[in-house]
Amino acid sequence: MASQALNSSTQPTDVYGGDEVSAIILDPGYSSIRAGFAGEDAPKSFAPSDYGVTTEGTFLFGDDAIHDPNANLEIRNPMGKDGTVEDWDIATQLWEHAITSRLTNFKQADPRKNGLNDDLSDAVLEMETDGDKPLEEHPLLMTETAWNSTKNREKSIEVAMESWGCPAFWLARNSVLAAFGAGKATAMVIDVGASTASVVCVHDGLILKKSVQKSPLAGNWVSQQIRILFEKAEPKVNLVPHFMVAGKTAVDSGAPAQATVRNFKIPPTASFRALEEERIITEFKESVVQVWNGANGHLYQEISQGGYKNFDSLRSQPGRTYEMPDGSNQMWGAERYTVAEGMFVASNTNEQNAGPTLIDMIKASFNATDMDIRPHLLANVVVTGATTLMNGFVDRLNSEMTTMYPGVKVKIQAAGLTAERRFGSWMGGSVLGSLGTFHQMWISKAEYEEHGASIVEKRCK
Amino acid sequence: MSQSGVSLSGDCVSKFNELKLNKKIKYIIYKLTDDYKEIVIEEASEDGDWEAFREKLVSATQKNKAGKVGKGPRYAVYDFSYELASGEGTRSKITFIAWSPDDAGIQPKMIYASSKDALKRALNGLAAEFQANDEDDIEYQSVLAKVSKGLA
Ligand SMILES: Nc1ncnc2c1ncn2[C@@H]1O[C@H](COP(=O)(O)OP(=O)(O)OP(=O)(O)O)[C@@H](O)[C@H]1O
Ligand SMILES: [Mg+2]
Repeated sequence: MASQALNSSTQPTDVYGGDEVSAIILDPGYSSIRAGFAGEDAPKSFAPSDYGVTTEGTFLFGDDAIHDPNANLEIRNPMGKDGTVEDWDIATQLWEHAITSRLTNFKQADPRKNGLNDDLSDAVLEMETDGDKPLEEHPLLMTETAWNSTKNREKSIEVAMESWGCPAFWLARNSVLAAFGAGKATAMVIDVGASTASVVCVHDGLILKKSVQKSPLAGNWVSQQIRILFEKAEPKVNLVPHFMVAGKTAVDSGAPAQATVRNFKIPPTASFRALEEERIITEFKESVVQVWNGANGHLYQEISQGGYKNFDSLRSQPGRTYEMPDGSNQMWGAERYTVAEGMFVASNTNEQNAGPTLIDMIKASFNATDMDIRPHLLANVVVTGATTLMNGFVDRLNSEMTTMYPGVKVKIQAAGLTAERRFGSWMGGSVLGSLGTFHQMWISKAEYEEHGASIVEKRCK
Repeated sequence: MSQSGVSLSGDCVSKFNELKLNKKIKYIIYKLTDDYKEIVIEEASEDGDWEAFREKLVSATQKNKAGKVGKGPRYAVYDFSYELASGEGTRSKITFIAWSPDDAGIQPKMIYASSKDALKRALNGLAAEFQANDEDDIEYQSVLAKVSKGLA
């Protein structure tokens, strides 16, 4: 969940070698957009991909604008189910906002057209001459998924060159950047984000197309499992987001909430409510959800007398308490292990066949590669994406992979720092885009004008 | 050219050819210059002592952009010889090693990884290759197993 801007510890730095450009790195995902200057340690701008639409049809972008319960907003997202762009008109405006709102020294595009909701009168006064585009001084390095379509790739360079006026552009695979950032030119990259979980093998810096595997069993799916868990709990857990609570009194565990609920003249839309609920669910993921370690088989390993060996043994373990915004709170014991299990094993309690599990994908991806690079892949597994921050995720992955490939060295590299796991691709792009030598790589505006958008297919592999 | 735009200094390949043809040089260690523009030879040695070679990788450093010195990745080529367990004699394999310690900074790791293909593709006659990210990965026994594919 995008919540606040990040404070980069470093000032905008000169590009190494004294070159004058300050390139911008844009790493858009289904849940959030990461944008910032090349050479910095973390993206200055971390903005939600969700945006608001008012009843008049105005678009609102950014965390400062979309969480107002009185604005009667419809919440939407321009990304498709597989984390690639579906609505380019909106994505262009949304990303532009993510870039211009947080990265300083910037001209903004005409505020009457760029969809920003700043105070118009001020902005108009400061406006530069007509025709100025927002990124005329900044080369743009954008990340993309391994399964991005040719159409989308060409659209990216078009937006950069035509709408934003970038002098140069580059498109880099997010899995390759994550591998490079871990010091590896060859790796099996496992990325679990919001919309998509994927396994992609990278060899000498290039993705192996045949090895690309993806699945919807990712963060959004886990959120759905948590909703089902709340729904089925005894007593049922009411997911009441913060904005609805006017006041609350402490209650015992499992007791009904004693809270005053806010009344709205116009009740917020269902999509707005879902957005606010998602914030709580993400917090629940961070503090309560646990991935079963897989030490004695999977969670629902059955035993002859009936029942589940591992799940039942967890019932006697101490649980974790979680308090909802309305003050109701409950202890989560063995149940907190259930919501992520389906990512690893097709589960008999959650929706079945929602998509391939991580295990299915690892096998399929691995089997699609050449024999001679296989040992290198297993010894260089790179884990990235915020859903991999779930407690116990990496331990479980390790246990599954060592069981799958006995006698082979499996080594999983998962950055210990949360920031690196969430922003791994952005950070990789930041280093690359700041290299003095990288100016030879950029697709320049002149090249774009000469060859058209298809140049991106030829140059960015 | 590499994916980072980093290039090779002139003697990177000629020294490798010398290793390949004259069989005197045992290993070459390559590094990136401090300005991250070029891959250069740090050392070429006729000493075949693996431990001494390993120690050089382990203690390698690299300046980051801010001028701070930290652990440094390296590339190396080692003319690795071993006896076949079957008694069928000695084999030698020119092995390419991409050394990138996990505790090096993201900047040097990123730059070495994205520049590797420039060097690797320029060296003709490599018989084996591996990535190493911690000291265990470059233990003699573990390298022997990797390079000989278990036949030593
Ligand atoms: N600490 C955490 N523990 C578990 N899950 C988390 C944590 N922090 C964030 N998440 C979940 O991670 C997901 C976001 O991950 P990430 O930022 O990698 O996705 P994205 O790149 O925006 O999406 P996609 O890769 O699908 O395009 C959300 O579903 C969020 O709920
Ligand atoms: Mg992602």
